[in-house]
Amino acid sequence: MVSSHEKLEQAVVGIAGLGGLGSTVAVALARAGVGRLIIADFDTVEQDNLSRQQYFVDQVGKNKVDCVIENLQRINPGVEVRGHQQRLDADNIPKVFAGADVIAECFDAAEEKRMIVETVLGRMDRPIVVTVSGLAGYGNSNAIQSRRISERLILVGDGESGIDSGKILTAARVGIAACHQANAIIEVLIDEIKR
Amino acid sequence: MEALKVNGVERQFPAGQLPATVAQLLEQLHIEAATVVAEIDGEIIQPEKFAKTQLRTGQAIELVRFVPGG
Repeated sequence: MVSSHEKLEQAVVGIAGLGGLGSTVAVALARAGVGRLIIADFDTVEQDNLSRQQYFVDQVGKNKVDCVIENLQRINPGVEVRGHQQRLDADNIPKVFAGADVIAECFDAAEEKRMIVETVLGRMDRPIVVTVSGLAGYGNSNAIQSRRISERLILVGDGESGIDSGKILTAARVGIAACHQANAIIEVLIDEIKR
Repeated sequence: MEALKVNGVERQFPAGQLPATVAQLLEQLHIEAATVVAEIDGEIIQPEKFAKTQLRTGQAIELVRFVPGG
């Protein structure tokens, strides 16, 4: 009988994008004891990211991948993190996330979100993808939900609150969506992935 | 009557008026094709096939619409 803790320790989770969602999912999974993370982002930390992303003032200007690795080491040195400082596309996603049990879609742009979900479901055989649509604004916490769309697709969000609607982004509401995402991932790793 | 289950909700169409393709269904629902993932009976449909993929009564269709933010 493999314990829940061992299942998490043996798991491999991919995190695509290290903004408000990805940086928070990474922290939640590292604290939960997920053994291996594959993280990817091309970007650097900017001052205004600090309103909702898990970085620090002294990390402004540094690569997000390096900063997440540094922060996770301070939280849980037992987690093995593989970092990819690059822009993800339909060609490199299957290589970057090879071996992942679950992939967290943590991108910003709607077209990019669509692209990775399609790539994971269409070009990869195994990973489950946990994606997010609708997290902007404040209040209305309970509108953010997790829904199983199909065997390999879980959708988090309220489905309608985009940043294009002029709504602000807050650490609180983005954090609710990110923790839905992390919680769904932990559930899949413990209850569904066979070891 | 013909019917499709769209995002878990049954939608009925008079005989002969079922949207012929995924592209037509999206158009009817005013959904921008560039920001949607479509699955028919659990199978992902690539966007370049939206206009070619025929719909049949009784199918279950999931349309995941993405709004920006992350």
